[in-house]
Amino acid sequence: MTLLRDGKGRQKAPLTPWKKKSAKERKALPGIASLDGRWGYPAIAPFFLIFLIFGVAPVIYSIYIAFFKWDPLGESEFNGINNFIFLFQDSDFWIALRNTFSIWALSTFPQMVIAISLAAILRNKRLKGKSFWRTILLVPNITSIIAITIVFQQLFGRDYGLINGLLGLIPGVDHIDFIEGVIPSHVQIATMITWRWVGYNTLIFLASMLAIPDELYESASVDGATKWQQFKYVTLPSLKNTITFVLIVGTIGGLQVFAEPQQLNAEGGSTKQFLTLTLFLYNQAFLNNKYGYAAAIGIAITFIVLIISAINFFITRKLAGEGSR
Amino acid sequence: MNKLTTKNAFLGAIVAFAVSAGLLTAPAKAVDQITLTIWTFGEVIQPGLQREYQKLHPEIKIIPIKNDVDPLHQKTILSCQTGGPADIIAFEVPYSGYWRTGNRPACFQDLRQMKTSGSNADAGVAANLSALDIKKNYLPWRWEQGVAFNDSVIGIPTDVGGLQVAYRSDLFKKAGLPTDRVAVGKLWPTWEKFIATGQKYVSKLTAAEKKSGKGFIDDAGSIYAAVMNQGTVKYYQPDGTDAGKLVYKTNPQIKKAWDTTVKALNSGIGARLGQFTSDWNIGMNKGAMATILAPAWMLDYIKKQAPDTKGKWDIADLPVGGGNQGGTELGIPAYSKNKQAAYDFLTWYLAPEQQLKVFKTYGLFPSASVLYDDEALLGYKDEFFSNAPVGQIYTKGVLKLKPIFEGELQRKIDSTFGAGLGRVASKKMTSEKSYALVLSDIDKLFKN
Repeated sequence: MTLLRDGKGRQKAPLTPWKKKSAKERKALPGIASLDGRWGYPAIAPFFLIFLIFGVAPVIYSIYIAFFKWDPLGESEFNGINNFIFLFQDSDFWIALRNTFSIWALSTFPQMVIAISLAAILRNKRLKGKSFWRTILLVPNITSIIAITIVFQQLFGRDYGLINGLLGLIPGVDHIDFIEGVIPSHVQIATMITWRWVGYNTLIFLASMLAIPDELYESASVDGATKWQQFKYVTLPSLKNTITFVLIVGTIGGLQVFAEPQQLNAEGGSTKQFLTLTLFLYNQAFLNNKYGYAAAIGIAITFIVLIISAINFFITRKLAGEGSR
Repeated sequence: MNKLTTKNAFLGAIVAFAVSAGLLTAPAKAVDQITLTIWTFGEVIQPGLQREYQKLHPEIKIIPIKNDVDPLHQKTILSCQTGGPADIIAFEVPYSGYWRTGNRPACFQDLRQMKTSGSNADAGVAANLSALDIKKNYLPWRWEQGVAFNDSVIGIPTDVGGLQVAYRSDLFKKAGLPTDRVAVGKLWPTWEKFIATGQKYVSKLTAAEKKSGKGFIDDAGSIYAAVMNQGTVKYYQPDGTDAGKLVYKTNPQIKKAWDTTVKALNSGIGARLGQFTSDWNIGMNKGAMATILAPAWMLDYIKKQAPDTKGKWDIADLPVGGGNQGGTELGIPAYSKNKQAAYDFLTWYLAPEQQLKVFKTYGLFPSASVLYDDEALLGYKDEFFSNAPVGQIYTKGVLKLKPIFEGELQRKIDSTFGAGLGRVASKKMTSEKSYALVLSDIDKLFKN
């Protein structure tokens, strides 16, 4: 948000602020400096051109087909707003909405706690092999979702999974079916998402923790604050903006959960217990051949994202207002 | 037959790159190189036979690109609108109804208009053969699944998914059941007897074995498809129109298959291991199931997943007899630029001789019915399955099959029923409630 607001002054600001030079000297460097003026638009054009073709055009097209019974290889007929009416009456849509938010909540909040804790540990100056730990945190993030799903299915297997194997050691505890149960299946999917993104978020938290001046901690310890109090009263408040950022990014990602549930069961489970919104859209289009309906679902998802973004925006503004001194 | 295919696609891309690079740097080659791109899945295109063909035709490069079945279907739809690089495309029988209907057959080359060039004359495929000339080699109803409703031939059948029972003779012995494959087959002339045998087996299991999830059959839900395919009509009834008449509410065969399966589910004979899950793979090694309803193409999968169980398996007849599951068509997309080369490859690859080789190495049961009285097929025994005469047993089953009309949304309706049985299996719903939900879910498919 703040970046956008500052955008007005961009043309005047030097592109290379780390090299403070006079206007005369800048002219001596035609390559970079001229990018600022005449060449700016051509330089950004490729992105916007590609965005127009692969981003905007499909969006407009899908708004168009949302009003049809669409058959890519046959005749399509105009369907008015029937797709939208049907959508609100379709129980699967509401189940998918419920599942999406449940999985989002189960993955986002534990993830925050773990990521902040890990970052607090990695911040420790006496920690050995810092770069090793930081690098390894990103490994789950660059692993293919399919591979992660296969491994987790083995961990969460009902009969021979490791987790149920451990549960079985406790007398009187039955195996949990991590596919058939509503909450258990959400837990399984949320665990996969957490596993994939926790390292990435840890690094973001770590970066912002490292930016907290040491003096704050020193004066806190002079005042007699324990480590926990330092964390609570120095670290956490300084992370407020970062937490908001991670929350927004996590929400956008959370509304797009697709591959994990699809790998568990393409239909989203026998009672649609882990059918998510994007999987619902995909299945309507690509399993049921209802492209127009799927486009309508896409529009509905867009509105949901807009509503949540608006909520996020107001919360962020409020927090930012409080935070500014 | 869903497999991870990213690696193959990646290799395919590398090969494609290498080939194009090779063509660019060596333009002075005597013969024009032809590249055949094949969009496929699972084990439809066998690397061994592919190598053999390239030895016969050094001028042809074959590049199979693997996808999963459903994404491939989408890719095929898209490429039909926009054009694409494929010269041959594989599609599964449950999708054949989609491609045969309306103006979709136009996406594929009508193979009646193609003639073999004679380039494979030495390899047993004569010149000047159109699809109608080779039709007689194939199982008639299986051939029809590649014929569109406007009579154009859009695909040639690869395999028939003949279905029989794979059973563990060692576990049968332990439970006091007969182990000889003929005697075992006689245990279950009907599905009711099959379930009763299962109950007898389960009653001999110890409490600990039961608690660890062991059962008679891997997944009692698999009985549904088996019973369905023993009928003559599934969800669509042929009525002279292309689309067929929807009978998913009235066809008694469906209710029969459903009730039989629910009975099996409630009798507790199933280990409740979904096929192709990791629990299933492990369970196969641990003796969690004594029987699997196994299509011919699954035998190879069992061998690979549970190599240590070699010699413990055997094959017996399916209850009632005759079963089918799966099968694939190979067609040439209308936009292909190498139709002649593609057709020559197809006619060779799906010729009876090659189908026999595929059967012996990978267990895909031939759709070429001229083989069904061939000693080479009938006499084929499989060591892994206690030297069972696999060829003979599956031939017997396939010959009992009747043609079934596959409609446009066949695959989707099948999976809706599958989900319904899943709800009964996990005891989330009663049979009646779940059945009603299945019907309303299917209604929804056609409503909007």
